[in-house]
Amino acid sequence: MNTIIIDGLSFALPLFIMAIGGIYCERSGITNLAIEGLQGFGAFCGALFAVCIAQYFAGNSPVPFYLAMVFAFLGGMLFSLLHAMLCIKFKANQVISGVVINILAMALTEFLTKQINASIFGAASNKFVLGVSARITVPVLSKIPVLGAVFTNLYPFEIAIALIAVIAWYILYKTRFGLHLRACGDNPHAVDAAGIEVSRVRLIAVMASGALSGLGGICFAYSISANFSSNIYSGYGYLAIAALIFGNWKIMPTLGACLLFGFARSGGYELVKVLEMPSSYQDLVMVLPYVLTLLMLIFFSKKNHSPRALGEIYDKGAR
Amino acid sequence: MKNKNNFLHKLILQTIGHEKRQHYMIPVFTILLSLLFGILVIALLGKNPLQAYYNLLQGSGLAPKASYAGHKGMITDFTSFLNALTPMLFAALAVLIALKAGLFNIGVSGQMLAAGFTATILIGYSDLPAVIARPLVVLTGFAIGALAGALVGYLKHRFNINEVVSTIMFNYIFQNVISFLINTFYVDPVSRQSRNVGQAGRLTLVDVVVGDYKMDIPLGILVAVIGIAVTAFVMNKTTLGFEIKAVGNSIRAAQYAGIQVGRTRVLAMMLSGGFAGLAGVTYYLGYFASIQPKVLVSTGYDAIAVALLGNSSPIGIIFSSFLITVISKGSTYMSSTSGVQAEIASAITGIILLFSACGAYVKYKVNRWKDDR
Repeated sequence: MNTIIIDGLSFALPLFIMAIGGIYCERSGITNLAIEGLQGFGAFCGALFAVCIAQYFAGNSPVPFYLAMVFAFLGGMLFSLLHAMLCIKFKANQVISGVVINILAMALTEFLTKQINASIFGAASNKFVLGVSARITVPVLSKIPVLGAVFTNLYPFEIAIALIAVIAWYILYKTRFGLHLRACGDNPHAVDAAGIEVSRVRLIAVMASGALSGLGGICFAYSISANFSSNIYSGYGYLAIAALIFGNWKIMPTLGACLLFGFARSGGYELVKVLEMPSSYQDLVMVLPYVLTLLMLIFFSKKNHSPRALGEIYDKGAR
Repeated sequence: MKNKNNFLHKLILQTIGHEKRQHYMIPVFTILLSLLFGILVIALLGKNPLQAYYNLLQGSGLAPKASYAGHKGMITDFTSFLNALTPMLFAALAVLIALKAGLFNIGVSGQMLAAGFTATILIGYSDLPAVIARPLVVLTGFAIGALAGALVGYLKHRFNINEVVSTIMFNYIFQNVISFLINTFYVDPVSRQSRNVGQAGRLTLVDVVVGDYKMDIPLGILVAVIGIAVTAFVMNKTTLGFEIKAVGNSIRAAQYAGIQVGRTRVLAMMLSGGFAGLAGVTYYLGYFASIQPKVLVSTGYDAIAVALLGNSSPIGIIFSSFLITVISKGSTYMSSTSGVQAEIASAITGIILLFSACGAYVKYKVNRWKDDR
């Protein structure tokens, strides 16, 4: 039971932070299929920085990881400017821009990883080895029965994510800027009439999405894969999109969706282990979260409404 | 400076300013721009960019190589290029039809896998003679893909499930379930892939001796050409095509015109899935003869961009698939000859797609300049 909660959370939270970024972007009216590419590029920047500075720190020092998080945050933000430029300035189709950014991110990071490994580190390798981040256990809280597992063997990034998520929730629902952002996705003309620049709000929203995606990416790189390679592109970004649509573009229900994915995944692995099935059955169990999502969507989708102006190019002159 | 600007303006206006030519001149313009960009990048890496581009053509059998192995030649490279082109053509068609109906089929890769797997176990492993097996493979591929597509369309119509989410979910479901089935029942212990399908069911004739050459002949390319022609006809000349485009342009207007939106969407997704299925069988029972478990090919995602680059027209995607396949297919030869990393090829592809996504903006800007004069 404890492992299910521990592993489930460490998968669900990075997913959640990427989905929050997606919510920011989509609530401002910009479709974001680029999460997959943004998280990969962010993770690449973070991993590159961590590998570069690793020699200045002791092997088990957590500092490179924290700096990697900062750089992944910045890297994702930087790359998301491309999406913003295409969607806001160049008025490109937003879905296509997203797909293109995914393809580009994958190609660029793979190429750069190889090139940098060859020319700077003198090694023919297609990955940056990072290792797994150390885990911490909160002293008193972890003694609570059942719920204590939430505070046991935490990755430090889970705490960071929880904090950022709370701040993100507050900004989106309780501040003036959050209101503007949500209005941009539903009725950009009204926002414009109120004297607020739609493209500026959307730019900030896209950048937030990039930054949070990058953060999610580096967390996956430091936990599940323990390195940066093309393995990072195994669909977590798309899963985050599914979670946010499932969560009806709202933060709390999206958290629920992410937890569902996380627990179904770790629960499935645990089940295979407990029943001592051959490891190929893991694949079958891995289907669980997706089938569950589809089934639940059948019941809940009727009430699902995307932001009204989602994916529409904002044209001041149009009526 | 002013003069130079004027000259550039004039040049651009004369080449892509003409309204009637814009629909193909703008993609060509953006492609040229990105190829120039690619030249810059390769030159920065200290390699000869023109040499690298020429290697791409050589690798795809469009230009002669310096030397060939026995029984190999330009023509064998070219047929092997066509072999790689076929699934891309089908996948791009699949994306295109869905796009026309205003739907995004992100699940092409999953539908390819489902169709390829079903055809593999039903017909690929059977002892049917080639005359029966090959048409059956094509039919099975289309049918399974169409089923998978129709299901997505039905979920959208009946339960309002966003097709982006459902196709992503189905991608994972197909990938994992099929990986399980392959690993449990059909695995080849040496290659760790599914067992190879028999020659009779394979849509590519392997090592056919023609004259002095041994070449792979993809039969699927014929089906692809027919598919493109049929799609162009259906889209431009039939009621169904009109209805699909009407739904894609405006649901309200389509409803007002008495078009059954739900039915049209399901049909469009069915056709889209069908072509994705054909992409699957030409990939897994043509270009390859086996399926690697746990892997979803990137063709389905690339096809979205290819369909866009081809201006969402059936004829346009012939050219865009051609270009993208030249780059990806030729990259292996390029990296072995001129020492440029093969990954640069996909980066160039990405940049081409990036620039082409700005096509609408180029058009807008050019037309603005025209109005200013």
